Amino acid sequence: MKSFHRYGLPFTLAVLFAMFASISPTFPTLANLHSLLMNHVALLSLIALAMTLVVAAGGIDLSVGTAVDMAGFAFIASLANGLPALLAILFGLIAALGVGLFNAVLVAGIRVPPFLATLGTLFIGHSVQQLSTGGGVPIYLIAGPPRPIFSEVDMARPWLSLAAIAVVLVVLDFSVFGRRIVAEGIAPAVARFSGLSVRRDIGLVMLGSTLLTGIAGIALSSGVHSYSPLSGNAYLMDAIGATFLGTTFDANRRANVIGTILGVLLLSTVKNGLLLAGVSFYWQQVANGTLIFTVLAISFSTKGKEATALSGH
Amino acid sequence: MTGHPALALRGIEKSFGGAQALAGASLVVERGTVHGLVGQNGAGKSTLIKVLAGIHAPDAGSIEIDGKNEAHLSPHHVETLGIHMIHQDRLLPPTLTVAEALLLGNEPRFARTPFINRRQLERQAAEALWNAFQVALPVRALIRDLATAEQQIVQITRALVNKPKILVLDEPTAALVHREAEMLFETIERLKSDGLTVLYISHYLSEIERLCDQVTVLRNGRDVARVSPKTTSTAEIVSLMIDRDVDSCFPARPPRRGEPLIQTDGLGNSPYFSDVTFTLRKGEIVGVTGLVGSGAKALAGTLFGLSKADAGTVLLKGRPLAAPTPAAAVARRIGLVPEDRRRHGISLDLSVRENATLPALPDFTRRGLIRAAREKNAVAGLVARLGIKTSGPEALLRTLSGGNQQKVVLSKWLIHQSELIILDEPTVGVDVGAKVDIYREISRLADEGAGVLMISSDLLELTGLADRVLVFHRGRLVADLHTAGLDQDMLLALITTGAAPKESNAPKEHHALAV
Amino acid sequence: MPSPSDRGNAARLLRSGAYGAFAIVFLWFAIVAPGFLRFGNLTDVVQQSAILGLLALGMTLVMIAGGGNVISGGIDLSLAANLGLTAAIYARLAQDGANGLTAIAAALGAGLLVGAVNAVAVVRLRIVPLLATLAVSKIVNGLEFVLTKNSVVTATSPIQDWLSGSGLFGIPEMACGLVLIAVLVWLVVHATSLGLRLHAVGAHPEAARAAGLSVPAMVAGSYVASGLLGSLAGIFSAALVSGSSPGSGNYLLPVVVAAFLGVTFSRRQVPTIGGTILAVLFIGLLANGFQLVNISTDWIDGVEGVLILFLVGWTTLSQKESLDA
Repeated sequence: MKSFHRYGLPFTLAVLFAMFASISPTFPTLANLHSLLMNHVALLSLIALAMTLVVAAGGIDLSVGTAVDMAGFAFIASLANGLPALLAILFGLIAALGVGLFNAVLVAGIRVPPFLATLGTLFIGHSVQQLSTGGGVPIYLIAGPPRPIFSEVDMARPWLSLAAIAVVLVVLDFSVFGRRIVAEGIAPAVARFSGLSVRRDIGLVMLGSTLLTGIAGIALSSGVHSYSPLSGNAYLMDAIGATFLGTTFDANRRANVIGTILGVLLLSTVKNGLLLAGVSFYWQQVANGTLIFTVLAISFSTKGKEATALSGH
Repeated sequence: MTGHPALALRGIEKSFGGAQALAGASLVVERGTVHGLVGQNGAGKSTLIKVLAGIHAPDAGSIEIDGKNEAHLSPHHVETLGIHMIHQDRLLPPTLTVAEALLLGNEPRFARTPFINRRQLERQAAEALWNAFQVALPVRALIRDLATAEQQIVQITRALVNKPKILVLDEPTAALVHREAEMLFETIERLKSDGLTVLYISHYLSEIERLCDQVTVLRNGRDVARVSPKTTSTAEIVSLMIDRDVDSCFPARPPRRGEPLIQTDGLGNSPYFSDVTFTLRKGEIVGVTGLVGSGAKALAGTLFGLSKADAGTVLLKGRPLAAPTPAAAVARRIGLVPEDRRRHGISLDLSVRENATLPALPDFTRRGLIRAAREKNAVAGLVARLGIKTSGPEALLRTLSGGNQQKVVLSKWLIHQSELIILDEPTVGVDVGAKVDIYREISRLADEGAGVLMISSDLLELTGLADRVLVFHRGRLVADLHTAGLDQDMLLALITTGAAPKESNAPKEHHALAV
Repeated sequence: MPSPSDRGNAARLLRSGAYGAFAIVFLWFAIVAPGFLRFGNLTDVVQQSAILGLLALGMTLVMIAGGGNVISGGIDLSLAANLGLTAAIYARLAQDGANGLTAIAAALGAGLLVGAVNAVAVVRLRIVPLLATLAVSKIVNGLEFVLTKNSVVTATSPIQDWLSGSGLFGIPEMACGLVLIAVLVWLVVHATSLGLRLHAVGAHPEAARAAGLSVPAMVAGSYVASGLLGSLAGIFSAALVSGSSPGSGNYLLPVVVAAFLGVTFSRRQVPTIGGTILAVLFIGLLANGFQLVNISTDWIDGVEGVLILFLVGWTTLSQKESLDA
């Protein structure tokens, strides 16, 4: 019973999967699951993994959507201006890294707390996008000459996500960098007094995580052949949700890769399942929210009572 | 002494899971006395206090408060009975003012309105502080802007404001300097004559000796003695606590002199200290001591890279030491066991293994990945060597006792194989049994060739363990003495006045002599 | 670790920086923006700020009682959704001809209910507030969606007309409303024992418990109060736009910004009612000034972002480590 809280997440996922499968015959079909994984899961995984890294390092990144959008913007705008596809991808990644660099300077250099730093970045990113697109006008590349890069990126997408999961898993759980950032996230002062360069490491995390969101941004805009300002923000709440739902999976409630992916799967399953179950469009979100609430309730309320610090030690 | 005892806990038994914390412990405190409670960590002191506080319900035994049998105590109920506890953790909201924190829950209000009368609040607060400690702390200052000792004073005053009948003090002087501790003792003695009963828990036996009329000694969950410190010597009390001969506390150390490890020349770090010149050799244990603000602690911080020196030079093994950050110091095989264990030493939310290998991660890394097996072995070795009591290397530090947590801090630098280990008050808040283990380890470290710099305000520790002692006074190094045959009075005089006494006429300063 | 006096200095510096920034912005607009200083314009600003102000008050209460940490401390991300839902409830009822007072009662009731759910989630189920209020906001958003089918619901009623009027002595009712409610909340939070205890509960729950305060009750109360304020904002919003319209989510981040910015205006560097109101007015003045000077509203978010970064950055840069000698 002690670690029951760990299994709330996978348990709920399994139950929901079975439930939706029984309600709607379309749900468990290969075609549906394939589409689910290719689209929402693949993209959200990338963004949620970026969030997981930052949260593991003791922070939170409200600007993940901004990095996604910047990458998409640079990518699509480059293509629109006739630049070769590979260069467009490069610019997309650089744009995302630019956001990461900005965050890194704020957090590691000026020591602004990550919540406020990325909040600022988010706001500045809003303005930058609005101003660059003349008030929020999307860039469409749907018509016009066919661009093979889009389908190439689409095909690469699932592999990119899988690779990202593997890489982040190895980094967080097995690498020395991962060990450092986890320690720094939990006890930055102790880490410093143990000879770790806390500021340098958090800066690297803020910078490196935008590589993942950059890939997501390029993949997102590839999928729809366009860039819409502020479209990345829709992923912010889900990325936070998945990451923190994922912490319930860890014995010590730390942000972890498997948990985050389970969280992503849960959120995506619920969305898709409700849709296919014919739940009225308007009630979908209510059901969505209620399910998440339930998972959280199970996980947090079955956690053992924590010892208060009034011990004599 | 007529009438009922103020407190009578008899035959208290308490188990947690399989472990029995109390196996029939009794504590009887007579009214109007100061009663000491001593015992190692693990002896059951804190559990007994928690039973009294109503936090734990005993499995067996009786509790009488002022003659009346009380079952089903709760923290709130205990307070209404006039028993107030002052715990080691400072329970003061940091963003409240002194006045607000003192009177939280009892705020003076304008008649029949919910509005706080600020002027009354500040007046009452100032009065309370003056009555208790004769200090005039600025009542509008925020708690977080106060020094540790001042916060302690506010904490104790707060308990006194409620006019308790019984005051329970748990290690109250841990953060106080001599002068403030004196004030506290005088306050306690004054309150005693007003009829207050005090239960005083402390590791500092000199304080117990000074203040207490009776002392109860706990060992292994039972009370083993109830003695008067006036008739029982400190050494006897200690042997009752640990059931072991006290004199073997400090390991015998043959003098050992290796090559110079640290050589400073005119080292300065304004405004903390200036012109410090000394040499520390491999295999030496050098103590550093001085009053708060004397520069002793700052020396440690400077060598460890917490602050940059602005004058003079430091050579580490003959090469200049440039340690602008702790990272640089650690890279040069310097380690620090910090004073504030919980804030800088270990993380309660990391496991024993994660804590212990933190400074030495590069040694366990190959191609960017952690070498798990190697790490596990190293940690297991240290746990065995230091006798760390834990359920395993994956246990989170919060499940360990204070003494064992300190051992984990020490093991960090053992695994790191530091060549210079700086210890800052290494045995504060550590029980006698663990202290002995730590002293043994420190000695062994030095024997194996490391250099040890030990900041301490514990004179016994300094003279018993260190080969030499550096005395700081107001930012200058005033003495560099061998400890063999060192006169404690002279040491004390150097610490408090900066000069050796001409005649031993100095008033007996009651410095915290702990065991 | 910064010494106590360093921290005091940094706090003073930050606070003067915040007031300084406020003054500079005010002066700048006073000089370059035509009509900025007009009484009517300034009262307009207050009116426009009323909705954000009420939401920010709710957020502030929750932050005070819940303590500083962003992830595990007090935060109410459901405020914007609350506004949307209650505005929708009011508009629907008014549209269907219900009595104005009934509609208001229903809206307030809904707000209290949302607050109660948050309270249970945080206090009883012990879900971390960030996640709890996030989940609740999803549910509440969904309910709003059900009611409005994602379209505008127009409604007019005498109360709405009254609220959105330009009121007594040229001061719009909504501005008066904000001021009145703000003063009331300010009194409770900063002048009564309840307020002090709320602060203590957030600053150090263990100490508060040791002082005999009921931490769960106070934290729960803060969420319920926040829910109430959210529904008041919803009613104001219904008055302002004559009904309800989708897009309440746009308020979410500005509320967070306002509450955190408000901290920089306070002496103790904690969430305060006064600081929050100043921050809300600051944001309002910025938007207003931009409008008058014909700078596109696209700039506003960016300016707010720079502002918060600047102010927070300034304070952290001026904190120095000091050795405890």
